[in-house]
Amino acid sequence: MTERPYWIAAGTVGWGAIVFWKAAELPQFDQYAHVGPGFMPSAVGLGLVVLGLLLALQIYRGVPFEEQGAEDVSEDHKVNYMALGLAAAASALPMLTMKPLGFVITCTGCFVLVAAAFKSRRWHLDLVLGFGFSLLCWWLFRKLGVQLGGLLPMMGV
Amino acid sequence: MDAITGLMNGFSVALQPQNLFWAFVGTFMGTAIGVLPGIGPALTIALLLPVTVYIEPTAAFIMFAGILYGAMYGGSTTSILLNTPGESGSMMTALEGNKMARQGRGAAALCTAAIGSFVAGTIGTLGITFLAPPIAELAFIFKPQDYFALMLLAFLSVSVVMGTSKVRGFIALFLGLSLGVVGIDKQTGLQRLTFGVPDLMDGVEMTVVLVSLFAVGETLYVASRFGFQKPNLNPLSGGIWMTKEDWKRSWKPWLRGTGFGFPIGALPAGGAEIPTFLSYTVERNLTKHPEEFGHGAIEGVAGPEAANNAAAAGVLVPLLTLGLPTSATAAILLAAFQNYGLQPGPLLFINSADLVWGLIASLYVGNLMLLILNLPLAGLWVRLLFIPRPYLYAGILIFSLVGIWGVSNSWVDLAMMAGVGVLGYMMRVYDFPIAPVLIGLILGPMAEVQMRRALAVGQGDPTVFVSTPLSAVLIAVSVLILIVPAMLHWRRTRKIDMPDETAGV
Repeated sequence: MTERPYWIAAGTVGWGAIVFWKAAELPQFDQYAHVGPGFMPSAVGLGLVVLGLLLALQIYRGVPFEEQGAEDVSEDHKVNYMALGLAAAASALPMLTMKPLGFVITCTGCFVLVAAAFKSRRWHLDLVLGFGFSLLCWWLFRKLGVQLGGLLPMMGV
Repeated sequence: MDAITGLMNGFSVALQPQNLFWAFVGTFMGTAIGVLPGIGPALTIALLLPVTVYIEPTAAFIMFAGILYGAMYGGSTTSILLNTPGESGSMMTALEGNKMARQGRGAAALCTAAIGSFVAGTIGTLGITFLAPPIAELAFIFKPQDYFALMLLAFLSVSVVMGTSKVRGFIALFLGLSLGVVGIDKQTGLQRLTFGVPDLMDGVEMTVVLVSLFAVGETLYVASRFGFQKPNLNPLSGGIWMTKEDWKRSWKPWLRGTGFGFPIGALPAGGAEIPTFLSYTVERNLTKHPEEFGHGAIEGVAGPEAANNAAAAGVLVPLLTLGLPTSATAAILLAAFQNYGLQPGPLLFINSADLVWGLIASLYVGNLMLLILNLPLAGLWVRLLFIPRPYLYAGILIFSLVGIWGVSNSWVDLAMMAGVGVLGYMMRVYDFPIAPVLIGLILGPMAEVQMRRALAVGQGDPTVFVSTPLSAVLIAVSVLILIVPAMLHWRRTRKIDMPDETAGV
């Protein structure tokens, strides 16, 4: 792959700059420990900026980026953006629904979306399975003392 | 307390029925997840962290130890029978082991892997038993600058050793470090990088980052490039267990593999890739049957598999004695200790002797359990691979939500899950190693505390960092790790460039 993903380098520099900028507002040195609360974040921010620039240099020289191998991954690494979108939607869904609709409904939604991303066609079955599995998890982990919130917070249950 | 008394006490803890039960649960789950794709030991322990509220610490760590060892076994089973190495440590096993399975010698390969793992695990645990107490004693005289130098070395070696590119390794490390500074500074009470969000005042939760990087990132990655082939199972044509010849060819590689694995695992550089690779190379050179290598040589299974397990045991030495994690799994174990308000390190051996020795004793028990459980059940474990993928990955995401939402019911954590999940996806696509993020996140704040302590003692003089012999040596080694590969690379590229220049002339 001769792709040149400069945006990764830009992202690294950008995040480093944000860290550095926020850290610069803090005292860098103090009387007692000599190194203040701002020193470490400043150093880390600066490090990220430098590393981002180094990465940009490597990209400019055409360093290869090979995808990591994983199980269940097709051999040609062909990207299915539809599936990626569905899976990403599943990971973003809890932000919208967890507070108002609660754990069980959120997880049922995630289950159906991920199953669809993995090319499951029987979404009625997925819905039932997902709901059952989510309910079981909610009940079981609640018994074990994990706080997962009410069954339907919007209704006050 | 000396090692023998400690261990005896430990066995009295580990052999209690309820602790035996937890060891069984741990080894059972560990083997299952070792077989399944998409989840490794670090992720499993992270997902189980919320449960620890209701389980007492000794039982929890006995279970975690079982998961750690069990996952190694599970990985070797799938490598041999299906040629799908779950983690980098079992790549070498797959190389020879799968060839053996294709020749109908799968049972012998499984057998040598299991017994090799048992031998290595037991010797490794013996190593922990007798090495850990003196190192913990030694650690009492460590000064802050020694700890700082040790952590610096761990940072450097983790980023240099893991992954293919040093720059990318360091970016991953610094990303973790930058997440680690978020929250209230414990010395001054000032907020750092919280952007005014109250949920971030306690810092970024390790579990959230780990689960998002591993589980969400993996789900996104596999979903986008999904290509499921029905596992092509090599039949275990029964009967042909290890012959006398097999035993004769296996026992030396087991011991040599352990010899590579344990010390390298125990070093701050850690990792299982180097010892397994070393073991494979050495066995290939020492064997009396070089023609069999690449076509299913039993030495090529026995050695690397032993090295893999011994390295896993070795990683526990710096974790328990110095509080220094050198792998993703060790980092999450450290987070588990912190959940219980325990700090691994020299004091742990005094304040929680029952827990530490119970944990060490349960490693012996778990090893034996795995040997008994797994040899007859290998065929059953492999069935797990036939779980339909849509449900497997959907289930993993739901467990992730239990782990993330269960920590503090915070919306910010959910947002972080989506964000860090996308990051995990990117890191897989562009080949950034993931473990340095976690090491940076958990070890960064500890290193900062030691740095500030050292400077306070040294009254601001930076030479305090090389003021003790140990810190000076460790800093020197760190500098070498950074410079030597760069120099070698520079010389190599020069050598390659030169003929080009002459050719040009």
